[in-house]
Order: sequence, then C-alpha cells, then structure tokens
Amino acid sequence: MKAAAFDYVKPKALSDALSLLKQGGDDARLIAGGQTLLATLNMRLSEPSILIDITDVQELKGISVVGDKLRIGALVTHTEIENSDLVAKHAPLLRAAAPHIAHRAIRNLGTWGGSLAYGDPAAEWPACSLALQATMVIHGPAGERKVSAKDFFIDLYTTALEPDEILVATEIPKTSSNQVFYFHELARRHGDYAVAGLAAVAEKDGNVLNNCAFTFFSVSSTPVMATAAQDLLNGKTLNTELIAAAVNAARDEIDAIADITNSAEAKKHLIGVLLERGLKHLVA
Amino acid sequence: MELNGEQLISASIPDVWRGLNDIDVLAKSIPGCEEISRVSPEEVHAKVMFKIGPVRARFSGKLVLSDVVPDQSCSMAFEGSGGAAGFAKGKSRVELKAADGGTLVSYTTEASIGGKLGQIGGRLISASAKKIADDFFQKFAKELGGETVALESDASGE
Repeated sequence: MKAAAFDYVKPKALSDALSLLKQGGDDARLIAGGQTLLATLNMRLSEPSILIDITDVQELKGISVVGDKLRIGALVTHTEIENSDLVAKHAPLLRAAAPHIAHRAIRNLGTWGGSLAYGDPAAEWPACSLALQATMVIHGPAGERKVSAKDFFIDLYTTALEPDEILVATEIPKTSSNQVFYFHELARRHGDYAVAGLAAVAEKDGNVLNNCAFTFFSVSSTPVMATAAQDLLNGKTLNTELIAAAVNAARDEIDAIADITNSAEAKKHLIGVLLERGLKHLVA
Repeated sequence: MELNGEQLISASIPDVWRGLNDIDVLAKSIPGCEEISRVSPEEVHAKVMFKIGPVRARFSGKLVLSDVVPDQSCSMAFEGSGGAAGFAKGKSRVELKAADGGTLVSYTTEASIGGKLGQIGGRLISASAKKIADDFFQKFAKELGGETVALESDASGE
C-alpha cells in the first residue's frame, strides 16, 4: 500500500522545526529514521497532513562526552551506537544492546531519539536509558527542559514529551570502574520484538552488588524497574537463596501484561529466568 | 482478546449507574469520543478517534444493551468499523457493587479486532485496550466528581 498524500518540509534549524511542529499541531509528524512511522503511513493507520523531516538539524546529531556525561543526539542511529568507541567505553550496556535491535537495515536508519520518543514497551533503548538513569534533553516553545528517564516513560506509547516538543539528546552518566552490566532478551527469532528482556547495571564488589538498576522490557506498558528485587540485592552477598528471593520479588512486583502470543504468567516466568541468568552473569 | 478489570469509583451506585447511562457523561469520558447519540433506549451510536502511539483510527460503531438490571448490571454488544484500519466487535458485561469508599465496577470484555489494526497492532492490543479502559474510568470518575482508586486489572491476548 501507499501512504495518503502529505506535505513534506526539511528545516535546517531546530527553531524552525519547533515552530513548524507548533503550527501543524496534531496533523504534523516528525520524521527521522522513519522505521515505525513509514510503516504506519503506508498501512494508512495514520494520515498526517505534514511530515517534518528533522534529519538536517545539526543540534540533534552526534555522540560526545560532556563533563561526566555521555551525550547521545536524538538523530544518532542504532548502528552508530553499535560502532561508537565512546559508547563502548562510557556506556557499554548500549553497545551490548544495539545488536538486538531488529536487523541491520533498520539499525542503519532508525534513531536513538525516535525509539525513545515512540516509547514502545518492547524496545531496547527505553529500558537501557532507564537502567542507566539517563536524562532526556527536550526543547519546546519555552526553551530547554530536562526529564529523567524515570519520569519520561509514562504509559503505553506515552512519554513526558508534549506535542510541541522535540527530544534533542540524552545525557547518560559515564560508567564507573566497578560498574557491571547485563543485557539479554528472549525472542522467538533474532530481530523479533522480545517476549521479555532485561537491561541491568550494578556496582560490583566481590560477590556483593550495589546500586542495582534492573529494568525489564516487553513485559508491561512501559519498561519497569524491579525495585523490590533491587532492594533485596543491594549490599548483600549473592548466593542461591538471595537469587531465589530476588526472582520471587521481581515476579511479584511487576504487573505483567499479556501480548498476542504470551500470557502474563509466561512473562512473569521469563522475568525470573532473565534475572537469575543476569545475576549469575554479573558475579561470574 | 479479553479484558477484565475492576475499578473503585468514589460515588454512589445510583450515581455511577446514571453516569453509565448518560450519553453526555459518556461523551466526556470515552477517550477520543467525537459524536455519540442514543437511537433507542438500548442502542447507542458513536464515533471515536483512537490515538495510540502512531495510530490514528476513527471508528464509528454501535453499542446494544441487554439484560439491564438498574443499579446492578448490564450486558452490551458492540461493533465498530475503522475504515481502512480494521474493525472491532465484542461483548462486555458490567456489574456494580457497593464497596468501602464508593462503588466497585467490575467488567469482563471479549473482543476481536480484525483488519490491519489486528495484524499490525496485534502485539500490543491488550496493553492498548487496558490503557483505553483506564483512561475511560479516570475521566468517568472525574465527571461524577469522584476519583478512581487503583485496583488490579488484567488483560490477555488471544
């Protein structure tokens, strides 16, 4: 199928993109990589009257280190993250997660900011940004504001972004020498949306983990932190009993929602499987 | 798809019942409701714009009530067509019970969604339905001057 007719503009300045977005209101859509939007347009599940192509806006590009933070521009593609030395050094969780995103052709075009702003509960980047305690840098008519990942993902496909705002970049605290990470997702085939996934970081001291941030994705309406399990784990020596207790806590606290092929019970089961594997990996 | 849930609304049973049967209250409570009209005591027609993620689909459909026991329960059958996007139809049963702090509304819904929305959106249909139901009850409780109290609800895909 083909998309319905729409107007197309490609501003060069962020300020122009913002004013076009405000003018267009609900009939305007931003397009960057287009890996979700174009499919919906072609299926005519959405018929915006104007597309604002933001791929020429310089402020949204590039990966850089700013002080103790790694800054990833909204237009950075999944492939760029996968190949970036800065990311591998300062946010290795993202390097580990990138190959799980769909397939090469999609990773070459799809963007970091697009994935975050879309807020798909099965996507890798929202979960990783939550685990890494990232901060979203947002521009709107009133200027710049910053929102923590924890407050950014509100509900299914619903983020803290207002309709007239653009996600510009994300700031991620640089990893420390004792920080360990784990990323894994269970999918029927590589590249499919995960049935359940886990993005985890913690500080490791021997067999003790601290500041655990375990984020599960594709199990609920948003990525979710297993805070009760984290509280159990923080500061204690990891052993079989503690792992079993954490697994139970995570299964209890997460309100799993079924998808078309997997029941809520199956998702809860997989949450425990992932957490157990993750914990064993982190202290191995 | 099945969607079952319970909502505690801080309003009396007669108020909740009246609200559920008042198309003006429904018009303000149904997310994206553009038009609603009662064509007979048992039949309501509506146009609703669903906005979830990238999808914008306008559904026009009808709702037929049956087994109506005032202040207690009713069943409803619904069907709607979203043009190129697909269609939805199903049935739902709603029961009201007195509870601490207001009225407990419990609902069970079975729905099938077909067409492109079913194919493309299938992965997240249950989560979407739950979000729409939650949004509805929040707005509905606000219309009645009360508020919802968080309770368990669950959705399962089929």
